[in-house]
Amino acid sequence: MKRLKLPQWLVLLLPAIIILSAVVLIPLVLSLYSSFTSYRLTRPDSIFNWVGLFNYEKAITDAKFWAAFGRTVLLLTVALNLEMLLGLGIAIMVSKVTRGQRLLRTMMMFPMMFSPILVGFQFKFIFNDNVGLVNNALQSLGITDTAIPWLVDGNLAMFSIIFAEVWTSTSVFGILILAGLYAIPRDPLEAAKVDGCTALQSFRYVTLPFLMPFIYIAMAIRSLDVARAYDIVQIMTNGGPARRTELLWTLIGRTGYVDARMGYANAMGYISIFLAIFFTVYFFKKLTKSRQELGMGM
Amino acid sequence: MNKYLSGASCAVLAAFAATAFVAQTGNAQAGEFDGVTIEAKLIGGQQYEALYARIPEWEAATGAKVEIISKKNHFELDKEFKSDIAAGTTDWCVGSNHSSFASQYSSLYTDLTDLISKDVVAEFVPANIKAATFDGELVMLPRAQFDVSALYYQKDLYDDAARAKAFEEEYGYKLAVPETWAQVKDQAIFFADPPNFYGTQYAGKDEAIVGRYYEMVVAEGGKLFNDDFSPAFDSEEGKRALQWFVDLYKAGAVPAGTTNYLWDDLGNGFASGTIALNLDWPGWAAFFNDPSSSKVAGNVGVAPAPKGSAGVRTGWSGFHGFSVTDDCENKEAAASLVEFLTNEDSQKLESAAGPLPSRTAVWDYVSEQAKDDPYRSEVLAAFKETAATAFAVPPTALWIESTNLIYPELQAAIVGDKTVDEALADASEAVDELMQEEGVY
Repeated sequence: MKRLKLPQWLVLLLPAIIILSAVVLIPLVLSLYSSFTSYRLTRPDSIFNWVGLFNYEKAITDAKFWAAFGRTVLLLTVALNLEMLLGLGIAIMVSKVTRGQRLLRTMMMFPMMFSPILVGFQFKFIFNDNVGLVNNALQSLGITDTAIPWLVDGNLAMFSIIFAEVWTSTSVFGILILAGLYAIPRDPLEAAKVDGCTALQSFRYVTLPFLMPFIYIAMAIRSLDVARAYDIVQIMTNGGPARRTELLWTLIGRTGYVDARMGYANAMGYISIFLAIFFTVYFFKKLTKSRQELGMGM
Repeated sequence: MNKYLSGASCAVLAAFAATAFVAQTGNAQAGEFDGVTIEAKLIGGQQYEALYARIPEWEAATGAKVEIISKKNHFELDKEFKSDIAAGTTDWCVGSNHSSFASQYSSLYTDLTDLISKDVVAEFVPANIKAATFDGELVMLPRAQFDVSALYYQKDLYDDAARAKAFEEEYGYKLAVPETWAQVKDQAIFFADPPNFYGTQYAGKDEAIVGRYYEMVVAEGGKLFNDDFSPAFDSEEGKRALQWFVDLYKAGAVPAGTTNYLWDDLGNGFASGTIALNLDWPGWAAFFNDPSSSKVAGNVGVAPAPKGSAGVRTGWSGFHGFSVTDDCENKEAAASLVEFLTNEDSQKLESAAGPLPSRTAVWDYVSEQAKDDPYRSEVLAAFKETAATAFAVPPTALWIESTNLIYPELQAAIVGDKTVDEALADASEAVDELMQEEGVY
């Protein structure tokens, strides 16, 4: 009997293929398949109940789904830009510090060390209308004599969530941009100085172009993070009240795990993934372009 | 001689202790389940832990071992159970259950009718056993964590003659602890002085607000669902019930953030002394009257839940219990553990800390024990009165899912995004669509 002999390259790749299949490919295929069924967690046999495009049609024609989609894009746009601007500011300030910079860098990362669930609870308390810190401070200082409903008012609730997101993740931008600042060669900056550029001009035309690849990498990472924002929102408002802060993943999480409608939740998940893909492709295109401008090739 | 005597005494004492031990652990017999390991997934939290400290007694009595493989709050356990059902990993044996969730787990838990003797079942409050029975199957035994809400209030609000006079002039009747929800509304608006003091508050999201709305619909003489589980709340009674929540919110008589509140926020709110009237669970009774945790300690009164316009008390109730899985290898041992955790001694232990029992004899026992404590007696009397007409959630596996469709609409009406009519019509349509999609009718 002849022993089956696999080509060497396949043998070498096999462990990686098996692991990737088990942890990525099979769950992906299974969830894609289940999005075409009426799969409910509490009725395992419903995974064989093929319903075609029903779940996708239901999601696409559901105004609540698109409202959550729109809100997620809004959160993504506002939070990313704010984090980028604040992170840039912090990084520039920290880079100018000569003593205690290591300590500052470590302190800068503190918010990232908290679990998002804890951050959610912390800001839920801070923004509580009755016993929260913000309202108590505002009332004690005589700025207002009403209880501002931070987590209830449509605009304020989104603001509070964005505030919590920005607080916890600005340091991602800060750290990456700081790394970028350290990597900038001194020569162009000195040349700019010799040529009589103002500080603002050397920042705009020399520093910023060098930083852009770092900024786009941070944007790509954070866009994936924010596009699947769940924990903080779940704790602070759970998408409410009256769906005013409902985001894609609070909606999908509730549909999948609380309502147990995994088939429908997966269909919504697959539509939502396009959002993440769009932003990732967009930022990588920008990244490539900015690297080309710097003469760094791909 | 002395040595011999003391040895003999020890033997007698040990024999006596063993007898007492067996009597305490119910019907379990020594060594009955030697070598058996029971895996359990139990609700965690400080108020539930005291009972689990008794488990070693059952282990010693039966020879079995209990391994608690998961301990979480019920919402987290619910997700875990659903994942277990989906993955087929349901060969653990004992699980915490709750009357509001139980109907979803029909494929997970076994019928206890043949595992627990009829005499034992008869010792529980019949209404609790009824609410633990689905399609003729007894799916859990209730522990001493029966929940129904009564009205906590600040007593000194009713002692001030000037305030009482002002109230009577404005509303045309005497200021007294409210007996109807219409009176609660009047008084809440009258007492409110935002942002420092509020008349009342209510749970504002998730199943919690739907439960509160559900009991109000019943108190108004309506129903949430028809017998075929089609939605019945888009009715005059349903609209009146929702209007009550809307009016209080509009009048500023409840905290502006109430639509984001759940039980902890409500309990801490009343304990902070900023709420006049608070419909809440029995588990808070001791907390509210404890000076180290509450600013209103010594000033707390408790009255039975008020009545709606139909003359019916609100009384949405639920209880915790324990169930045995269908896939458990040794169901007899698991059932013995469940029986032990809900027996008279277990219920006496749990209810000593405040929660309400679900065994008739233990109700009598705790009332007797509280005789010399006026506050505890007042608490028990109020909850006993409310429990007499309490009702469980509608027995449908789609209860939680329905509440997820209804609560955003209730919130929309409360915060003014929709009118009461629009909100209820939308909620009703969504629930109707769900029921039809699921083939309920």
